[in-house]
Amino acid sequence: MSKRKKLSALDITYAAMFAALMAVGANIAQFLPMVGGVPITLQTFFSILAGALLGSRLGAISMTVYMAVGLAGAPVFAKFSGGIGTLVSPTFGFILSYILVSYVIGKMIEAKKNPGVQTFLFACFVGLFLNYFLGTNYMFYAYKLLGIAPEGFSYGMAWGWMMVPLPKDIVLTIVAAVLSPRIYRAVNKTSRGHGRRSVA
Amino acid sequence: MIQNVIIGQYVPGKSLIHRFDPRAKLLTVFLFVIIVFLANNWLTYAALGLFTLGAIILSKLPFRYLYNGLKPILLVIILTFFLHVLLTREGNVLFSLGWFKVYEGGVEQGIYISLRLLFLIMITSLLTLTTTPIDITDGIESLLGPFKRFGLPVHEFALMMSIALRFIPTLLEETDKIMKAQSARGAEFSSGPIKERLKAIIPLLVPLFIGAFKRAEDLALAMEARGYRGGEGRTKLRLLEWSAKDTMLIVSLVVLSVLLIMLRG
Repeated sequence: MSKRKKLSALDITYAAMFAALMAVGANIAQFLPMVGGVPITLQTFFSILAGALLGSRLGAISMTVYMAVGLAGAPVFAKFSGGIGTLVSPTFGFILSYILVSYVIGKMIEAKKNPGVQTFLFACFVGLFLNYFLGTNYMFYAYKLLGIAPEGFSYGMAWGWMMVPLPKDIVLTIVAAVLSPRIYRAVNKTSRGHGRRSVA
Repeated sequence: MIQNVIIGQYVPGKSLIHRFDPRAKLLTVFLFVIIVFLANNWLTYAALGLFTLGAIILSKLPFRYLYNGLKPILLVIILTFFLHVLLTREGNVLFSLGWFKVYEGGVEQGIYISLRLLFLIMITSLLTLTTTPIDITDGIESLLGPFKRFGLPVHEFALMMSIALRFIPTLLEETDKIMKAQSARGAEFSSGPIKERLKAIIPLLVPLFIGAFKRAEDLALAMEARGYRGGEGRTKLRLLEWSAKDTMLIVSLVVLSVLLIMLRG
């Protein structure tokens, strides 16, 4: 990542606050017992919003902060988990992917003057794809590297394994795509810093 | 739950492990994660096991906390063990049940891999159980200090971590408050058709996001008003102190690494 200019105080607080929002999003199921008993997490949704609202650079930074806070032991990951032990867990790839997701989405939204639902829909599916791609690969290589993968464990099997929650995530992605432009506009209208940021 | 965020998994205490400098502990965990892969026979695994056990005893933590950290990964460990027992075909046959044979190599492999995971989880849990997230943040900032020269915003990053830690409980509380306020206005979060409930997220998230952005702006203004100009020449309230015992910790880990290299087959 190139550091073109120093982070201002506002950059710092925005990124920090979004990292804190991520912690809320990861555990919002605590507040919303819903969607047919399937525990939902809005992490992907929030990482998409991070890219859209903060821009690519700051969005990626805030997701990195979120990851670091979780690794330092704060219970900010889904189900109020946290700690360095998460690195060993196969789902850590998802947490890593949020950084990339917010960066890519930030770039995509920045390229558009007036992002509409289509832009967000496209961006959200790109986000979902990145999510699964990194998540699955991390799981596969984590298993291989830790040597806990049995001999028959193939790359295809890892993907098969990951396909289970896919339908739920596709539905949530569509919901996220429909909701994000509305939140994007509502927040942009009231906040002082951001409107200029995405143009710059 | 909400109050737990700032202290994280930290269990207050005054044991030797608690009193180590967070930098020393971070370095130890980093090194340990690397050298765990050096072990490949029972002698080396015993050495790692003794080190882990010693650390656990010195931390004086009730076993229940360590078990809590282990719980989510316990299933993975058990599964791994059985997969190796079932799939490895090396060494003598230990016993057979019809077509099904258990090999010596498989059991050995299964035990080693499970132990490796167990040690990793134990040592990393010990770090977060005996160190507050704030201390870890300070430790990271100090350890990564040299990278500032290459333009890495280490100070800013640590500051963002501290701010995020500070505001997570606030935002969780705020979410709760907004939900109650919107429920009072008739929003349905927990009943009705799914479509309606998903729609109800909007009146929850919009005020949450706007509130968070507002807080960020106020905080930035307050920082600037107090003359915040980045990390250059900034003094700290909490200072980290490296003492002899921290050096000893690192030395003991180097000794362990040398031992592992000598003993491995």
